[in-house]
Amino acid sequence: MQAFSRMCIGVLALALAGAAPLSAQNPTAAGRIKVASGSALIVRQGASIPAQAGQVVFESDQLRTGTDGRIGVTLKDDTRLSIGPNSEAHLERFVYAPAEGSLALVVKFVRGVAAYVSGRIAKLAPDAIRLETPSAIVGVRGTSLAVRVEP
Amino acid sequence: MARARLHRLLPAVLGAVWAVACGPKHASGPTRPPELAGAGTSLVVLLPDADTGLAGRANVANPFGSVDLETKYDATSATPNRRPDAVSTLSEADVTRIFGDALSALPPPLQHFTLFFRFESDELTDESRALLQDVLNAVRGRTAPDIAIVGHTDTTGTSSANFQLGLKRSTAVRTLLVAAGLDPSVVEVTSHGEADLLIQTADETAEPRNRRVEISVR
Repeated sequence: MQAFSRMCIGVLALALAGAAPLSAQNPTAAGRIKVASGSALIVRQGASIPAQAGQVVFESDQLRTGTDGRIGVTLKDDTRLSIGPNSEAHLERFVYAPAEGSLALVVKFVRGVAAYVSGRIAKLAPDAIRLETPSAIVGVRGTSLAVRVEP
Repeated sequence: MARARLHRLLPAVLGAVWAVACGPKHASGPTRPPELAGAGTSLVVLLPDADTGLAGRANVANPFGSVDLETKYDATSATPNRRPDAVSTLSEADVTRIFGDALSALPPPLQHFTLFFRFESDELTDESRALLQDVLNAVRGRTAPDIAIVGHTDTTGTSSANFQLGLKRSTAVRTLLVAAGLDPSVVEVTSHGEADLLIQTADETAEPRNRRVEISVR
Protein backbone atom coordinates (compact mmCIF):
# COMPACT_ATOMS: atom_id res chain seq x y z
CA MET A 1 0.00 0.00 0.00
CA GLN A 2 2.78 2.34 0.98
CA ALA A 3 4.70 1.47 -2.18
CA PHE A 4 1.55 2.13 -4.17
CA SER A 5 1.04 5.57 -2.64
CA ARG A 6 4.71 6.36 -3.21
CA MET A 7 4.21 5.43 -6.85
CA CYS A 8 1.12 7.65 -7.01
CA ILE A 9 3.14 10.56 -5.67
CA GLY A 10 5.78 9.80 -8.27
CA VAL A 11 3.19 9.79 -11.05
CA LEU A 12 1.69 13.01 -9.72
CA ALA A 13 5.11 14.62 -9.60
CA LEU A 14 5.75 13.61 -13.20
CA ALA A 15 2.33 14.90 -14.22
CA LEU A 16 3.06 18.24 -12.52
CA ALA A 17 6.50 18.42 -14.09
CA GLY A 18 4.89 17.74 -17.46
CA ALA A 19 2.21 20.37 -16.84
CA ALA A 20 4.66 23.11 -15.86
CA PRO A 21 5.60 24.19 -19.41
CA LEU A 22 1.91 24.40 -20.28
CA SER A 23 1.21 27.00 -17.60
CA ALA A 24 1.70 29.65 -20.29
CA GLN A 25 -1.73 28.63 -21.60
CA ASN A 26 -3.38 30.08 -18.54
CA PRO A 27 -1.26 33.12 -17.75
CA THR A 28 -1.94 36.08 -15.52
CA ALA A 29 -1.56 39.63 -16.82
CA ALA A 30 1.99 40.95 -16.56
CA GLY A 31 1.27 44.53 -17.60
CA ARG A 32 -0.22 46.77 -20.25
CA ILE A 33 0.77 48.37 -23.50
CA LYS A 34 0.81 52.14 -23.07
CA VAL A 35 2.36 53.23 -26.34
CA ALA A 36 1.92 51.57 -29.74
CA SER A 37 2.50 53.14 -33.13
CA GLY A 38 3.27 52.04 -36.67
CA SER A 39 3.74 48.36 -37.33
CA ALA A 40 3.58 46.91 -33.81
CA LEU A 41 2.70 43.33 -32.89
CA ILE A 42 2.36 41.05 -29.90
CA VAL A 43 3.22 37.45 -30.76
CA ARG A 44 1.39 35.18 -28.34
CA GLN A 45 1.69 31.40 -28.64
CA GLY A 46 2.62 31.74 -32.28
CA ALA A 47 -0.24 34.09 -33.23
CA SER A 48 0.38 37.75 -34.13
CA ILE A 49 -1.92 40.34 -32.61
CA PRO A 50 -1.75 44.07 -33.48
CA ALA A 51 -0.47 45.93 -30.41
CA GLN A 52 -2.70 48.74 -29.11
CA ALA A 53 -2.51 51.05 -26.12
CA GLY A 54 -4.48 49.61 -23.22
CA GLN A 55 -3.93 45.99 -24.23
CA VAL A 56 -2.85 43.52 -21.56
CA VAL A 57 0.47 41.68 -21.98
CA PHE A 58 1.27 38.29 -20.50
CA GLU A 59 4.34 36.35 -19.49
CA SER A 60 5.94 34.77 -22.60
CA ASP A 61 4.51 37.40 -24.98
CA GLN A 62 6.87 38.64 -27.68
CA LEU A 63 6.89 42.27 -28.83
CA ARG A 64 7.81 42.98 -32.45
CA THR A 65 7.94 46.09 -34.58
CA GLY A 66 8.41 46.86 -38.27
CA THR A 67 10.28 49.77 -39.87
CA ASP A 68 7.96 52.45 -38.42
CA GLY A 69 6.88 50.68 -35.22
CA ARG A 70 7.31 51.45 -31.52
CA ILE A 71 5.89 49.78 -28.40
CA GLY A 72 5.98 50.88 -24.76
CA VAL A 73 4.82 48.66 -21.88
CA THR A 74 4.37 49.18 -18.14
CA LEU A 75 4.51 45.98 -16.09
CA LYS A 76 2.64 45.35 -12.85
CA ASP A 77 5.69 45.99 -10.70
CA ASP A 78 6.07 49.41 -12.45
CA THR A 79 8.93 48.25 -14.68
CA ARG A 80 8.80 50.13 -17.99
CA LEU A 81 10.03 48.66 -21.27
CA SER A 82 10.03 49.99 -24.80
CA ILE A 83 11.28 49.02 -28.22
CA GLY A 84 11.95 51.12 -31.30
CA PRO A 85 11.59 50.23 -35.01
CA ASN A 86 12.68 46.85 -36.43
CA SER A 87 12.98 45.51 -32.93
CA GLU A 88 11.99 42.44 -30.98
CA ALA A 89 11.91 41.72 -27.24
CA HIS A 90 10.46 38.73 -25.39
CA LEU A 91 8.91 38.87 -21.93
CA GLU A 92 10.23 35.43 -21.04
CA ARG A 93 9.21 35.44 -17.40
CA PHE A 94 7.28 37.73 -15.09
CA VAL A 95 6.30 36.79 -11.53
CA TYR A 96 5.21 39.49 -9.10
CA ALA A 97 3.82 38.13 -5.85
CA PRO A 98 5.79 39.85 -3.08
CA ALA A 99 3.48 38.49 -0.32
CA GLU A 100 4.64 34.98 -1.27
CA GLY A 101 8.21 36.11 -1.93
CA SER A 102 7.85 35.15 -5.61
CA LEU A 103 9.54 37.62 -7.92
CA ALA A 104 11.10 37.18 -11.34
CA LEU A 105 11.64 39.20 -14.48
CA VAL A 106 13.43 37.85 -17.53
CA VAL A 107 13.43 39.86 -20.74
CA LYS A 108 15.21 38.74 -23.88
CA PHE A 109 16.25 41.50 -26.29
CA VAL A 110 16.43 39.77 -29.67
CA ARG A 111 17.13 42.63 -32.10
CA GLY A 112 16.85 46.37 -32.54
CA VAL A 113 16.76 49.04 -29.85
CA ALA A 114 15.12 48.91 -26.43
CA ALA A 115 14.90 50.86 -23.19
CA TYR A 116 14.34 49.50 -19.69
CA VAL A 117 13.47 51.36 -16.48
CA SER A 118 13.44 49.19 -13.37
CA GLY A 119 10.43 48.84 -11.09
CA ARG A 120 9.58 47.28 -7.74
CA ILE A 121 11.17 43.89 -8.44
CA ALA A 122 14.54 45.64 -8.80
CA LYS A 123 14.06 47.15 -5.33
CA LEU A 124 12.78 43.98 -3.62
CA ALA A 125 14.95 41.33 -5.31
CA PRO A 126 17.47 42.68 -7.85
CA ASP A 127 18.89 39.19 -8.38
CA ALA A 128 15.49 38.05 -9.66
CA ILE A 129 15.99 40.21 -12.79
CA ARG A 130 17.78 39.01 -15.89
CA LEU A 131 17.99 40.96 -19.12
CA GLU A 132 19.34 38.81 -21.92
CA THR A 133 20.82 39.64 -25.30
CA PRO A 134 22.24 37.11 -27.79
CA SER A 135 25.74 37.88 -26.48
CA ALA A 136 25.40 38.81 -22.80
CA ILE A 137 23.30 38.74 -19.67
CA VAL A 138 22.69 42.04 -17.90
CA GLY A 139 22.16 42.17 -14.15
CA VAL A 140 20.74 45.39 -12.69
CA ARG A 141 20.75 47.36 -9.46
CA GLY A 142 17.88 49.84 -9.71
CA THR A 143 18.73 50.93 -13.18
CA SER A 144 17.63 52.53 -16.42
CA LEU A 145 19.27 51.01 -19.47
CA ALA A 146 19.22 51.13 -23.23
CA VAL A 147 20.15 48.13 -25.34
CA ARG A 148 20.88 47.72 -29.06
CA VAL A 149 21.17 44.29 -30.63
CA GLU A 150 22.55 44.00 -34.18
CA PRO A 151 20.31 41.84 -36.37
CA MET B 1 12.04 8.77 -15.54
CA ALA B 2 13.10 9.95 -18.96
CA ARG B 3 11.98 13.42 -17.98
CA ALA B 4 13.97 13.32 -14.73
CA ARG B 5 17.06 12.32 -16.70
CA LEU B 6 16.45 15.11 -19.19
CA HIS B 7 16.24 17.62 -16.36
CA ARG B 8 19.60 16.44 -15.03
CA LEU B 9 21.11 16.64 -18.48
CA LEU B 10 19.57 19.97 -19.39
CA PRO B 11 22.33 22.22 -17.96
CA ALA B 12 24.94 20.20 -19.84
CA VAL B 13 22.90 20.32 -23.03
CA LEU B 14 22.37 24.09 -22.69
CA GLY B 15 26.06 24.56 -22.00
CA ALA B 16 26.91 22.63 -25.15
CA VAL B 17 24.41 24.65 -27.19
CA TRP B 18 25.91 27.91 -25.87
CA ALA B 19 29.41 26.64 -26.64
CA VAL B 20 28.43 25.67 -30.18
CA ALA B 21 26.30 28.73 -30.88
CA CYS B 22 28.33 31.34 -29.07
CA GLY B 23 31.71 29.83 -28.27
CA PRO B 24 35.02 30.86 -29.84
CA LYS B 25 35.18 29.85 -33.48
CA HIS B 26 38.04 27.52 -34.32
CA ALA B 27 40.03 28.08 -37.49
CA SER B 28 38.77 24.77 -38.86
CA GLY B 29 35.11 25.59 -38.09
CA PRO B 30 32.71 27.45 -40.34
CA THR B 31 33.39 31.19 -40.39
CA ARG B 32 30.57 33.68 -40.48
CA PRO B 33 30.02 35.58 -43.72
CA PRO B 34 31.46 39.11 -43.35
CA GLU B 35 28.08 40.83 -43.78
CA LEU B 36 26.89 39.07 -40.61
CA ALA B 37 30.01 39.84 -38.60
CA GLY B 38 28.09 42.05 -36.17
CA ALA B 39 25.07 39.77 -35.76
CA GLY B 40 24.06 39.39 -32.13
CA THR B 41 26.46 42.13 -31.00
CA SER B 42 24.82 44.07 -28.23
CA LEU B 43 25.49 47.56 -26.97
CA VAL B 44 24.33 48.17 -23.39
CA VAL B 45 24.24 51.72 -21.97
CA LEU B 46 23.46 52.81 -18.41
CA LEU B 47 21.01 55.73 -18.30
CA PRO B 48 20.44 58.29 -15.55
CA ASP B 49 17.26 57.96 -13.51
CA ALA B 50 14.68 60.45 -14.81
CA ASP B 51 13.88 61.75 -11.30
CA THR B 52 17.29 61.92 -9.65
CA GLY B 53 19.60 62.24 -12.66
CA LEU B 54 21.75 59.55 -11.04
CA ALA B 55 22.45 56.16 -12.56
CA GLY B 56 22.05 52.77 -10.87
CA ARG B 57 24.46 49.97 -11.65
CA ALA B 58 24.49 47.14 -14.13
CA ASN B 59 26.68 44.15 -14.81
CA VAL B 60 27.11 42.84 -18.34
CA ALA B 61 28.35 39.25 -18.46
CA ASN B 62 28.84 36.31 -20.77
CA PRO B 63 30.83 33.09 -20.35
CA PHE B 64 34.05 34.93 -21.26
CA GLY B 65 33.92 37.69 -18.67
CA SER B 66 31.93 40.58 -17.27
CA VAL B 67 32.09 44.35 -16.86
CA ASP B 68 30.30 46.78 -14.53
CA LEU B 69 28.52 49.92 -15.71
CA GLU B 70 28.62 52.44 -12.86
CA THR B 71 28.03 55.98 -14.03
CA LYS B 72 25.58 57.50 -16.49
CA TYR B 73 26.13 56.72 -20.18
CA ASP B 74 28.70 54.02 -19.32
CA ALA B 75 28.49 51.55 -22.20
CA THR B 76 29.89 48.23 -23.29
CA SER B 77 29.61 46.19 -26.44
CA ALA B 78 29.37 42.42 -26.22
CA THR B 79 29.82 39.88 -28.98
CA PRO B 80 28.84 36.23 -28.67
CA ASN B 81 32.38 34.87 -28.67
CA ARG B 82 34.48 37.06 -26.40
CA ARG B 83 34.26 39.00 -23.15
CA PRO B 84 32.33 42.31 -23.17
CA ASP B 85 34.47 45.28 -24.25
CA ALA B 86 36.03 47.62 -21.68
CA VAL B 87 33.61 50.31 -20.51
CA SER B 88 33.46 53.51 -22.52
CA THR B 89 31.24 56.53 -21.94
CA LEU B 90 28.83 57.68 -24.63
CA SER B 91 27.77 61.29 -25.06
CA GLU B 92 24.16 62.24 -24.45
CA ALA B 93 23.94 63.06 -28.18
CA ASP B 94 25.06 59.52 -29.08
CA VAL B 95 22.47 58.02 -26.76
CA THR B 96 19.73 60.13 -28.32
CA ARG B 97 20.91 59.30 -31.85
CA ILE B 98 21.10 55.54 -31.25
CA PHE B 99 18.23 55.02 -28.81
CA GLY B 100 15.92 58.00 -29.39
CA ASP B 101 13.20 55.89 -31.04
CA ALA B 102 13.08 53.42 -28.15
CA LEU B 103 13.32 56.13 -25.49
CA SER B 104 10.46 58.09 -27.05
CA ALA B 105 8.25 54.98 -26.72
CA LEU B 106 8.84 54.61 -22.96
CA PRO B 107 5.54 55.09 -21.13
CA PRO B 108 5.46 58.16 -18.88
CA PRO B 109 6.70 57.65 -15.31
CA LEU B 110 4.10 56.41 -12.86
CA GLN B 111 2.50 58.52 -10.24
CA HIS B 112 2.50 57.11 -6.71
CA PHE B 113 0.19 57.90 -3.86
CA THR B 114 0.46 56.53 -0.33
CA LEU B 115 -2.62 56.53 1.86
CA PHE B 116 -2.47 55.77 5.58
CA PHE B 117 -4.93 53.97 7.87
CA ARG B 118 -6.03 53.96 11.45
CA PHE B 119 -4.70 51.11 13.64
CA GLU B 120 -6.09 47.64 12.72
CA SER B 121 -8.71 49.23 10.53
CA ASP B 122 -9.59 49.82 6.90
CA GLU B 123 -10.51 53.44 7.63
CA LEU B 124 -8.32 56.12 6.05
CA THR B 125 -6.80 58.94 8.06
CA ASP B 126 -8.38 62.32 7.27
CA GLU B 127 -5.26 63.57 5.47
CA SER B 128 -5.24 60.51 3.23
CA ARG B 129 -8.93 60.74 2.42
CA ALA B 130 -8.23 64.20 1.03
CA LEU B 131 -5.73 62.69 -1.46
CA LEU B 132 -8.36 60.63 -3.31
CA GLN B 133 -9.23 63.53 -5.61
CA ASP B 134 -5.56 63.86 -6.60
CA VAL B 135 -5.58 60.17 -7.57
CA LEU B 136 -8.63 60.69 -9.79
CA ASN B 137 -7.02 63.73 -11.44
CA ALA B 138 -3.86 61.72 -12.16
CA VAL B 139 -5.90 58.96 -13.80
CA ARG B 140 -7.77 61.45 -16.01
CA GLY B 141 -4.52 62.92 -17.28
CA ARG B 142 -3.34 59.66 -18.89
CA THR B 143 -3.93 57.64 -22.02
CA ALA B 144 -4.80 53.96 -21.43
CA PRO B 145 -4.46 54.31 -17.65
CA ASP B 146 -4.43 51.45 -15.21
CA ILE B 147 -4.31 51.62 -11.45
CA ALA B 148 -2.77 49.22 -8.96
CA ILE B 149 -3.97 49.47 -5.37
CA VAL B 150 -1.76 47.51 -2.99
CA GLY B 151 -2.59 47.08 0.68
CA HIS B 152 0.14 46.88 3.33
CA THR B 153 0.20 46.35 7.09
CA ASP B 154 2.65 46.62 9.94
CA THR B 155 4.07 43.44 11.52
CA THR B 156 1.49 43.19 14.33
CA GLY B 157 -0.35 39.84 13.97
CA THR B 158 0.20 36.83 11.72
CA SER B 159 1.30 37.20 8.12
CA SER B 160 -1.88 35.55 6.82
CA ALA B 161 -4.12 37.85 8.89
CA ASN B 162 -2.07 40.77 7.61
CA PHE B 163 -2.49 39.62 4.01
CA GLN B 164 -6.26 39.73 4.58
CA LEU B 165 -6.09 43.13 6.32
CA GLY B 166 -4.00 44.52 3.45
CA LEU B 167 -6.60 43.26 0.98
CA LYS B 168 -9.39 44.80 3.06
CA ARG B 169 -7.58 48.14 2.95
CA SER B 170 -6.95 48.09 -0.79
CA THR B 171 -10.56 47.02 -1.46
CA ALA B 172 -11.85 49.87 0.73
CA VAL B 173 -9.80 52.36 -1.29
CA ARG B 174 -11.09 50.94 -4.58
CA THR B 175 -14.67 51.30 -3.32
CA LEU B 176 -14.06 54.96 -2.49
CA LEU B 177 -12.41 55.68 -5.85
CA VAL B 178 -15.08 53.88 -7.89
CA ALA B 179 -17.79 55.74 -5.97
CA ALA B 180 -16.00 58.95 -6.98
CA GLY B 181 -16.08 58.00 -10.67
CA LEU B 182 -13.12 55.71 -11.38
CA ASP B 183 -13.65 53.04 -14.07
CA PRO B 184 -13.45 49.74 -12.10
CA SER B 185 -12.23 47.75 -15.13
CA VAL B 186 -8.77 49.37 -15.00
CA VAL B 187 -8.25 48.85 -11.27
CA GLU B 188 -6.35 45.96 -9.75
CA VAL B 189 -6.46 45.33 -6.03
CA THR B 190 -3.86 43.23 -4.20
CA SER B 191 -2.20 42.84 -0.82
CA HIS B 192 1.42 42.51 0.11
CA GLY B 193 0.49 42.02 3.78
CA GLU B 194 3.51 42.59 6.02
CA ALA B 195 6.01 41.51 3.33
CA ASP B 196 6.80 44.96 1.91
CA LEU B 197 7.35 47.38 4.81
CA LEU B 198 7.86 51.10 4.26
CA ILE B 199 9.69 51.34 7.60
CA GLN B 200 11.76 48.25 8.46
CA THR B 201 10.81 46.90 11.88
CA ALA B 202 11.05 43.68 13.88
CA ASP B 203 8.06 41.33 13.88
CA GLU B 204 5.11 42.30 16.11
CA THR B 205 5.87 46.02 15.89
CA ALA B 206 3.09 48.59 15.61
CA GLU B 207 4.17 51.20 13.04
CA PRO B 208 1.56 53.61 11.64
CA ARG B 209 3.62 54.35 8.52
CA ASN B 210 3.48 50.67 7.51
CA ARG B 211 -0.35 50.64 7.68
CA ARG B 212 -0.88 51.95 4.21
CA VAL B 213 -2.21 51.51 0.70
CA GLU B 214 0.06 52.36 -2.19
CA ILE B 215 -1.54 53.43 -5.42
CA SER B 216 0.31 53.35 -8.73
CA VAL B 217 -1.33 55.31 -11.53
CA ARG B 218 0.30 54.18 -14.75
